[in-house]
Amino acid sequence: MDDIIRKTRYLPVLRLHVSAGRVGLVLGLFLLAEFVALGLAGYVIALPSPNSMDLLARLDGPSADHPLGTDHLGRDVLARVAAAVHISLGAALAAMAAILAIALPWGIIAGLSGGRVDAVMMRLADIIMAFPMLVLALAIIGFMGASLQASILGVAAAWWPSNARMVRALVLAAKERDFVHAARLCGASRGRIVLRHILPQILPPLAVIISLETASVLLALSALSFLGIGAQAPTPEWGAMLNEARPFFAQAPHMLLVPGLAVSLAVLAFNLIGEGLRDILDQREPYQW
Amino acid sequence: MRRFLFMRLATALPTLLGMSFIAFAIVSLAPGDPVMQELRAMGVVPKPEDILAIRAQYGLDKPFFSRYFDWLIRALQFDFGQSIASGRSVIDEILIHLPATLALALSSLIGAIGFSLALGLAAVSAGRATGAALRGLTILLVSVPSFWLALLLIYVFVFQLGWGRLVGDGSIGDLILPTLTLSLGAGASLGRVVYERVRAEMCEDHIRLAIAKGLAPPVILFRHIVPRVIGPLATTWANTFGALLGGAVIVESIFGWPGLGQLILQAISQRDFPVIQAYLVFMGLGFFITSLLADFIVILSDPQLRREVSNG
Amino acid sequence: MVATLNIQGLNVSTRSGQHLLKNLNFTISPGERVGIVGASGSGKSLTAGALCGLLRPPLHISGGTVTLGEQSLKNMTPRQWRTIRGRRIFQIFQSPGSALNPARRIGPQLTEAAWVAGVNPTATIPAALTSVLLDPSVCTQFPYQLSGGMKQRVLIAMALILRPDILIADEPTTGLDVLTETEVLKALGTMIAETGASLLFISHDLRAVRSVAQRVLVMQQGEIVQDSPADELGHAKHPVARLLAEAADKLGALC
Repeated sequence: MDDIIRKTRYLPVLRLHVSAGRVGLVLGLFLLAEFVALGLAGYVIALPSPNSMDLLARLDGPSADHPLGTDHLGRDVLARVAAAVHISLGAALAAMAAILAIALPWGIIAGLSGGRVDAVMMRLADIIMAFPMLVLALAIIGFMGASLQASILGVAAAWWPSNARMVRALVLAAKERDFVHAARLCGASRGRIVLRHILPQILPPLAVIISLETASVLLALSALSFLGIGAQAPTPEWGAMLNEARPFFAQAPHMLLVPGLAVSLAVLAFNLIGEGLRDILDQREPYQW
Repeated sequence: MRRFLFMRLATALPTLLGMSFIAFAIVSLAPGDPVMQELRAMGVVPKPEDILAIRAQYGLDKPFFSRYFDWLIRALQFDFGQSIASGRSVIDEILIHLPATLALALSSLIGAIGFSLALGLAAVSAGRATGAALRGLTILLVSVPSFWLALLLIYVFVFQLGWGRLVGDGSIGDLILPTLTLSLGAGASLGRVVYERVRAEMCEDHIRLAIAKGLAPPVILFRHIVPRVIGPLATTWANTFGALLGGAVIVESIFGWPGLGQLILQAISQRDFPVIQAYLVFMGLGFFITSLLADFIVILSDPQLRREVSNG
Repeated sequence: MVATLNIQGLNVSTRSGQHLLKNLNFTISPGERVGIVGASGSGKSLTAGALCGLLRPPLHISGGTVTLGEQSLKNMTPRQWRTIRGRRIFQIFQSPGSALNPARRIGPQLTEAAWVAGVNPTATIPAALTSVLLDPSVCTQFPYQLSGGMKQRVLIAMALILRPDILIADEPTTGLDVLTETEVLKALGTMIAETGASLLFISHDLRAVRSVAQRVLVMQQGEIVQDSPADELGHAKHPVARLLAEAADKLGALC
């Protein structure tokens, strides 16, 4: 009966089933596509170099030459924002890849092993999680020296334990299903169980987690660059651009609005995708009171 | 109950030790030689004898674990050495700035909890359209970076409306804008959790019975839903507090709020390792204590756990 | 005043228009005890849900009428439902383990029923518990400390306090052993006798239904295929009803 009971509303105009979550998902994917397009724009349209300074045109508002204005060194804001797509998104994806590279195996091994192995692995993760995440990242950067690479490593080191815990929770739920028990009784090898029974179960909720965590990582990295301890000048990065804008934003509000909007929309994209996926996966509707 | 408390603290000990070890060992991430760096920071051209002398003074010629134990013993007595930059005692510097950060984090937590309850409960009881709009607003607030929000708030309130000050001195009035910045983001994030938990609870069978009894929504909410969600919410509140401790660094830097944030940023740029270490230890300790409190609330709010605990 | 429940042409559909309950027609007179039997998925619980306004959205009543006395129960607002639920119609569900709030003691949950009924809790609760053969000290306990049968009897005590016109019992004995089932059915009988309420007893177990109900409705795939007195089911027109009766008799002879 449950497959008939859907939370979607049928829109005859579009001939589609819509729900808030699905709309959000499409919107998020669209935003992400826009960012990819923006990042590739430099190869298609002739944009000025993000680092070329035109000191005569400092702090100019949007104009024909500079659609989003110039910054305090006369650099074209649009070019910088577009170049920053590679840096900001690239850094976030790199950090996320590093996090998953540790958290996935950690969570799967801990979840499947159980017993002492699980206890030790989780205790190690808990010790790292005992520090507030941004604080730990700050400390790591503090010791390594400020740079974009240091911020990526710092965020990865601080974020992986919570992700490992989430993966482990998914694995624990997945391995209790009857068909996994059946596979084990049939003598399936560990690897086969993981690949053919556990992974397919955890992939959908994992996709939700990955989207939402990427959003969180992106926010953290741009915050660190904003504080001046991530991407260093003159690297174009949205948080760093906002930091540079601080003394000038009364005179040149476009310097304040554009990079901030860029970060917000990028983070929003990942959040919408994550929430949209979660909405599709979760089908329970509450009773009306 | 007392025995349970004792056991809980006993199991916390390895975690605390592990944390202290991390705080100590992270220093080894530092590229280059700390001794050389300190000498350079002092503006001295190092002679080989000087280097050896300083090594001995800092006990850097001893093996790793004995250095760790020395550090740990001193740390337990709240002696974190001297700040490389200012020469003052690190613990003094921390204690000067700690209250301001705690004030900011706590008031932001209260603001966030209030905002999240309003947002989450409104989203749960709202109609389809309003509910979707509220959830959209929540996702938006969660996506906006706190530093941008802070700058926008300054633009509106300080520059356009002239209500606040840019450079504060730590008086209560200066706390409003920083708290507002942090509360909005954290509150939206918490609001999501409130919405999800209440909604999940509303799908439960015992709520169906409560509805069948003919109880009014406020009664169901406060007598049936709240007791069930308070445990998980408490855990989320503790996590939010940790996030606020981190977020405070950003907000303090923007609003000039004289807390630990300013201290740590200076320390990072000046490679002031003792300060960074002590900061890590204190933040870790604070977060650890709130997590412990949250765990107690979880146990107290579940009757079965409570019975197990008071018997065991 | 206990009133008649009248259902005419009831349809329950999904959002896309698919009918899960088709054209139900039956009446429950004051004090009558009616049973609904059928295989899993035949629509028994949906019927119960529709009568209480507890259909999980987006399921809704798409046609027909439901009246309790002169009042129409179809598509009422939540506020209107709150005047009916508990006071005129009450439902107890299967799996009592999840029906009671795990975080609260039994006492407060029964007190709420007393508030709805407008009676004094301290007077009525112990009496209700004693009627279902439970010790009043059960009030200080949490649901996890009670057995399945005890929890089900707490729910019946709740019904005793509420004194509704109609009590719907959705699979109250499913999953309970025979001894506990007897206790629960006895408690149910006490409640009906004391309050004069009508009873709608839903189960897939025809033996349990026949021990309580005077009349039985047989449901299959969302439709009522038979409506007759309990002891005449063996001679029923519809083959499914006859089969059910025969199977139940066979089981009864074996046990």
